[in-house]
Amino acid sequence: MQNEDMYQLLIKMKDGDQQAFHTMYDATYQDIYRTVSFLVDHQQDREDVMNEIYMQMWTSLANYNTNRPFHFWLHGLVIRQVQRFRVKSWRRFRIFERIRAFSREESYWDQHTALMDGTNQMISQSIRKLTDKQRPVIIFRFFHDYTLEEIATLLDIPLGTVKSRYHAGLQALRKNLWNLPPERMEEINDY
Amino acid sequence: MTIERKIREHLHKEAETMECHPAISKRIEQSYSQYLQQKRSKITMKKRLIGGIVVAAILIPTAAFAGPALIEMLSRTPMTAEQVKVDEVGKATLEKLYSAFPETKSFEIIDASYLGDPTNSTNMKTIQQSIVLQEKGGTGKKFTIHTNGITGEIEDLTQENWEPKEKPLITLTNQEIRAKVDYLIDKMYGNIEEYEVAMEQMENPNQKTFILNYTKKGTEGEGYQVFVHGNTISLSPLDPTPVNIKVEGLFSLNGKPDYTADNFLNDEKLFSLLKISPTELKQELAKGKSVVEIAASRNVSKQQVIDVIAKTQVESQFKAEQNGVTISDRLMEQMLKEVEPKVLKVIEHKTETEW
Repeated sequence: MQNEDMYQLLIKMKDGDQQAFHTMYDATYQDIYRTVSFLVDHQQDREDVMNEIYMQMWTSLANYNTNRPFHFWLHGLVIRQVQRFRVKSWRRFRIFERIRAFSREESYWDQHTALMDGTNQMISQSIRKLTDKQRPVIIFRFFHDYTLEEIATLLDIPLGTVKSRYHAGLQALRKNLWNLPPERMEEINDY
Repeated sequence: MTIERKIREHLHKEAETMECHPAISKRIEQSYSQYLQQKRSKITMKKRLIGGIVVAAILIPTAAFAGPALIEMLSRTPMTAEQVKVDEVGKATLEKLYSAFPETKSFEIIDASYLGDPTNSTNMKTIQQSIVLQEKGGTGKKFTIHTNGITGEIEDLTQENWEPKEKPLITLTNQEIRAKVDYLIDKMYGNIEEYEVAMEQMENPNQKTFILNYTKKGTEGEGYQVFVHGNTISLSPLDPTPVNIKVEGLFSLNGKPDYTADNFLNDEKLFSLLKISPTELKQELAKGKSVVEIAASRNVSKQQVIDVIAKTQVESQFKAEQNGVTISDRLMEQMLKEVEPKVLKVIEHKTETEW
């Protein structure tokens, strides 16, 4: 959908047009849900974050920059809400540290991952084992095909930081999946 | 296949298998409708506040509302307690109060007056009748009731000192205050369950004040507007008819919209006199001009402006058009004259200045 159309739709939605809300929701929820699912492990948490993201849509429309693509704004919302959620869950984590640590292990086995074959399960798990800093970079790079510069803007961090997180993330994945020696990394870096 | 490609393909493949649970969609939809509800109640709240501004001006002792309001400025004819008791409207009002609050039977009528034609005293058709009752001794519980003399409806009700002095009403929790107001409405008008309420603290630096808006479920504007401050509950039923406000916040104060004059200047007749649209008027006022100056630049005299606004205000006071009531020219003239200073204040007011 065109940026301008999306913006008009958002305004209508904010003003209380139910129809606009549904059009908007149908056009975006798959993408948002999938992105959130890659970034947040628990099903219940995903729901909470999804809900927050949509609530932000009608409250922070004022920050929408019409010069940028719509999905850029949308993914900005996603990132901010996921980060906010992390801060919150970190507080929870301290309290229920042990319970949480235990249930985390479990959550690597989502319903859909259980159906995949061995290699894919391995990849899924490895991605989930990435740090909270590396994971968004990897997801936005490979799932949404953003450039590293764009990711820097989205995450509001310097490009150098994105690069280092990106490489560290890839290295961790490699280590987990293929146990490749670090020397070979440069050669195969052809993406 | 390189690792980058592998990851990319994997992510897209995995994404395909992820299905958003319908429960999430439902929850977000609910959030959205909640947001809408909140949004709507905010708009109506503001509008109603403007509609009730004449009433509010009497009730809230704050600099934001310009001096004594119309209703108080109009000179009233005093009544004795005996006159109230024999008067048709007065009697009905007292009966209503007595049945709602039996303890008020022992209260003394400390003040009573009416607004209307003094020449026509044998068959009094009052525009508004006011009765003040107070408890003898005790905490000095007090009721002030303004009744519309034509419809017999209680237009304005103030309940004072119901709580002990050491712990006035405003110090109670929001829930407790609401419960008190609910009780008052239920007693006086009944059917409190049919109303939805929105409560908000007003921006009043001098005194903590709450505004409560009761809206009858399923109606646009019917309900009650209630102000709570100090040890006082002030209540007035709202007209179901929408308020004729074309533009809001004509002036501003400290950068915030100032609704004080909205009720005065949103006047069809004024717009046509000045040959100006409401939006244009707002723009001109924002430039720092007063209404008088705008009028002067359009060859309209100050007196003409005053006459038009005063007439509308006086007419709206007794709702001439709705009730088909006529009053003597003398009373009309008197009312017009008395509302003049207030109108003058509004039309000479400049934006961003104190009232």
